[in-house]
Amino acid sequence: MKVKLLFAVILLLLLSSLSFAQDDSAEIDTSAVVEELVLPAPPGNLSGVDKPNDHGHSIDLSWELSPDDGGGLNTVLQYDIYHWVPNLMLELNLVRDSISVIQKIIRKTTNGIIEGSQADSMKKVFEKLSRSELFDVRNSLTEYVKKGNKGLAEACKSYPEGGAWLFLDKKPSGTSTFDHIGSKEFKSSGFVPDFANLYYRVDAVTADGAKASSNILGPIQSSGQWYNTFRTPVVFSVLLFTLLTVFFVQKARKGADLYVRPLGGIEAVDDAIGRATEMGRPILYVLGLGSAADIATIASFTILGRVAKKVAEYQTELLVPTYDPIVMTVAQEVVKSAYLDAGRPDAYKEDTVHFVTQSQFAYVAAVNGIMLRELPATNIYMGKFFAESLILAETGALAGSIQISGTDEIAQIPFFIVACDYTLIGEELYAASAYLGKEPVLLGSLKAQDYAKAAIIVLAVIGVILAQFDFGTEFVNLFEVVN
Amino acid sequence: MKKTSMVVFATIASLFLLSWIVKGMFSEGSSPYLDGFLVTLAAFLTLAIMSFLYKDNPYYKFAEHLFVGVSAAYAMCLGFWSTIVGNLIPRLSSTVSDFFQVNYIEGDYNIFFVIPIIFGILLLMRLSPKAGWLSRWPLAFIVGTTAGLNFVRYLRSDFINQINSTIIPLLIDWNGFGDFFSNMNFSATGQLVMMFSNLVIFVGVVCGIIYFYFSKEHTGWFGRASKVGIWILMITFGASFGYTVMGRISLLVGRITFLFKDWLEIIS
Amino acid sequence: MLSPLMAITVQDIGITVSLVFILLGLAWLAWRSFSGKEVDRRIIFLFIFFSVAMPVIFKISFKFKATPIVNALYEKIESLPNNSTVLISYDFDPAMAPEVQPMADALSRHCLSRDIKIVYMCLFPTGQGQLEQTFSTVVRNEFPEKQDGIDFVNLGYKAGGEGVLNVIVTDFEKMFPTDVNSVPYSEIPIFDNIKSCKNLDLIISIGGGRPGIKEWVLFVGDPGNIPMAAGVAAVVAPQLYPYYPNQILGLLGGVKGAAEYENRLRDSDPKFADMPTPATTMMGPQTLAHIVVMSFIIIGNILFFRNRKRGEIS
Repeated sequence: MKVKLLFAVILLLLLSSLSFAQDDSAEIDTSAVVEELVLPAPPGNLSGVDKPNDHGHSIDLSWELSPDDGGGLNTVLQYDIYHWVPNLMLELNLVRDSISVIQKIIRKTTNGIIEGSQADSMKKVFEKLSRSELFDVRNSLTEYVKKGNKGLAEACKSYPEGGAWLFLDKKPSGTSTFDHIGSKEFKSSGFVPDFANLYYRVDAVTADGAKASSNILGPIQSSGQWYNTFRTPVVFSVLLFTLLTVFFVQKARKGADLYVRPLGGIEAVDDAIGRATEMGRPILYVLGLGSAADIATIASFTILGRVAKKVAEYQTELLVPTYDPIVMTVAQEVVKSAYLDAGRPDAYKEDTVHFVTQSQFAYVAAVNGIMLRELPATNIYMGKFFAESLILAETGALAGSIQISGTDEIAQIPFFIVACDYTLIGEELYAASAYLGKEPVLLGSLKAQDYAKAAIIVLAVIGVILAQFDFGTEFVNLFEVVN
Repeated sequence: MKKTSMVVFATIASLFLLSWIVKGMFSEGSSPYLDGFLVTLAAFLTLAIMSFLYKDNPYYKFAEHLFVGVSAAYAMCLGFWSTIVGNLIPRLSSTVSDFFQVNYIEGDYNIFFVIPIIFGILLLMRLSPKAGWLSRWPLAFIVGTTAGLNFVRYLRSDFINQINSTIIPLLIDWNGFGDFFSNMNFSATGQLVMMFSNLVIFVGVVCGIIYFYFSKEHTGWFGRASKVGIWILMITFGASFGYTVMGRISLLVGRITFLFKDWLEIIS
Repeated sequence: MLSPLMAITVQDIGITVSLVFILLGLAWLAWRSFSGKEVDRRIIFLFIFFSVAMPVIFKISFKFKATPIVNALYEKIESLPNNSTVLISYDFDPAMAPEVQPMADALSRHCLSRDIKIVYMCLFPTGQGQLEQTFSTVVRNEFPEKQDGIDFVNLGYKAGGEGVLNVIVTDFEKMFPTDVNSVPYSEIPIFDNIKSCKNLDLIISIGGGRPGIKEWVLFVGDPGNIPMAAGVAAVVAPQLYPYYPNQILGLLGGVKGAAEYENRLRDSDPKFADMPTPATTMMGPQTLAHIVVMSFIIIGNILFFRNRKRGEIS
């Protein structure tokens, strides 16, 4: 009960100071004619639309330049933009200010308040309250603002009575547009209600301060849109790409033979396994630092399966040190089933795939140790690699092994290229996996990507030809994604 | 411990102490010996990491582990204070906000903020061998939202906008051969250079994509275009390599400057 | 009138000594490798160390002319009217700092000297410390008259990477309810007319990791149609070139980019004549080290082709 009483008193206090606030706003709006000043010609034909493709709360304004801007007397310095707000809005702004002052008192950050200001007088009132009272009053005031905002649209209907013109912003001479982007947050003083009647006015201002007002624009309402037409190209490409992927995955599932060209790096794997067998030395397979969820690691599993199968057939030794425990578990399954496929489950050893450590450079040190001790005939690096790529590949090269690598980490590809015999660059890694595994999802998405690439080539060629003959802009606009 | 390692250790320890004392004696400031210790420690760690180039050794290992440990702990603390304390608590409870001395955001309370707490706890279930599977739910959420968010962004920035950037005229201000040769301009923004740049961009994009086109055998003209593509890729990798060298040398310069300026003070 | 001998500076002696050392060293290395003897890699490391250390000691530096991609950013900042607002995001850690801190400092200096307001933030937890460095060396030291909250503001670090960017493109306050000193958003004068990234005149991301420039382009620059520029560590610079000039208007790549910017700034106005130029200083050792590395590549390739001709390498 006490709190409610307190709240009522404070509200009364605030509202009584509203007259003071209104005077204040009237002071800003000094369009009254001062006789000795030469008035500029007013800007003409002020028009506005609800800002398209947004979440509402905004209006785009445009006007014709004053004849004295850039011509005529050439006295226009700037344009002042005003909008009309009902008294309720002013009142709510005042309450918002007082909430802010209460917040400051609660947080003990009032030293920024200038003495003698409106905020200072509010501070003096609130400082007398206890902490818990402050919290209660603040909550009641917030609730009041929330409720008040709902009545704003109704209050706007009273135009031109019961309100005042508020200064919004100034624009330098030569500008003829202004986007009034209001806030959607009721807590903010820049809040602009949707579906409320809004009114605007633009004044041409000279250096002496003489002002001439345009016509008054209004009523005009802002609203949000469900669909952003600027993003149509994105929707279109998302749909197209998704459809292509689904189509090809389905096709691959039905057993259609989708052609993937043979890749140099993959053919080299077979030769390298043969070489290892001849030399009687092991093959080292490194899956990289990626987790089992990384596409590069998944692609690497498929390639590991193929390598393991060959290894089982030739009865060569395979070493797979891993970085991630989950990757290790999956890799063990992959190798086991490859040995089974090759008809040599007896040759499978549990420690072929083993866990090393989850520390980047410790892992590298361990793998380097294996390279120098076991002297593998072939090192295969497939998956995600980071700073360790060059350290690994360099040690392998020093040990004299044939090295085949593949990663989608663009920054690491150069290091692999210089230190390895064959490198699968970026997407080739996925392609290799699709080529070897014939997995419908991989194969289907690879095909869809190929079609997307073909589309890029075609569009680029058409675009360049059109751009040459100055039809480029229309075509480019098709790909323009603006907000 | 072998005798040589003991001697090395003793030498390093005494050099460290010497540096600390000397730096402490000559540095100006409110706490000269603390400053001296910090600079000496930084120099010691720098040299310890660099010693890896000679060979792997315990000092390098110490510095590396220290670095890994400190950065992990730092990231964790900062994550806690900026994500949980900074973002979540001010939206949930004023009492807890007061406890952590952060500003409670009035009116921002939203029951939906409980969901991230639950997901966060589920993610921690990873540590339990029995309930580990629970962590897959928040992971699925992360993977799903990131994929969705990235799909649209990448498609727009790396696909549509990049096509847009490739649509460029190959002939700029073209007024016929005679005019082109008589007004040839070799400046960096001249007609000749601009036309060449545009040609490189167009040919590079088309041939690069052809190299990564897997549905057709690379023979005939297609194979030749793909050869051009791989050349362009190699040039890109070369540029990338060169930039990397520059980056690494910069880091070395940074460390050497630190050693000579802040530690040894032989340059000003 | 000075005699020619008097005109010789320490720098000239430094260049001569360094070049003689490098040339002799390279000649020795070339002689050893051409006569088929192994060169211990540690000797090469030591050689690189000295090639870098000598120019640091002798303070050898060169002049650089800004390339168009660097100049574009300079011109953009020059063309911004006073009281524009620029966001500079520190997306790097101490490991990348030698390369990108000079850019951050030079850009801050340029903006503040033109009375452009700066909003600082970081997406890397350790970026906060780097930001503090700019504050102590540039902002508070060279511009003591600039006021926190009015001329610049430090929003600090916010965890979440892309998530943060995705929000601030439409709403700053949601992600940064307060600045780093706990001043509420609504009470920071710089934000009077700034509700989201869309109200900014330019965004500059300085970094080289993830989240970094790519994420800024993907989540803020492109969706919000906001002018973006970047300063990056050399390693990632080549991957960002495709975004120039449509998606990022300028790019400073590595120390070279930073040195170009410093030189551009210093040449533009005498008031910058005495400004510290760490990147330009770093380019001296850099240049000599590049000569060494290029010589290594040439020697290595000659050896490779010679051995291949002899049939030692298939």
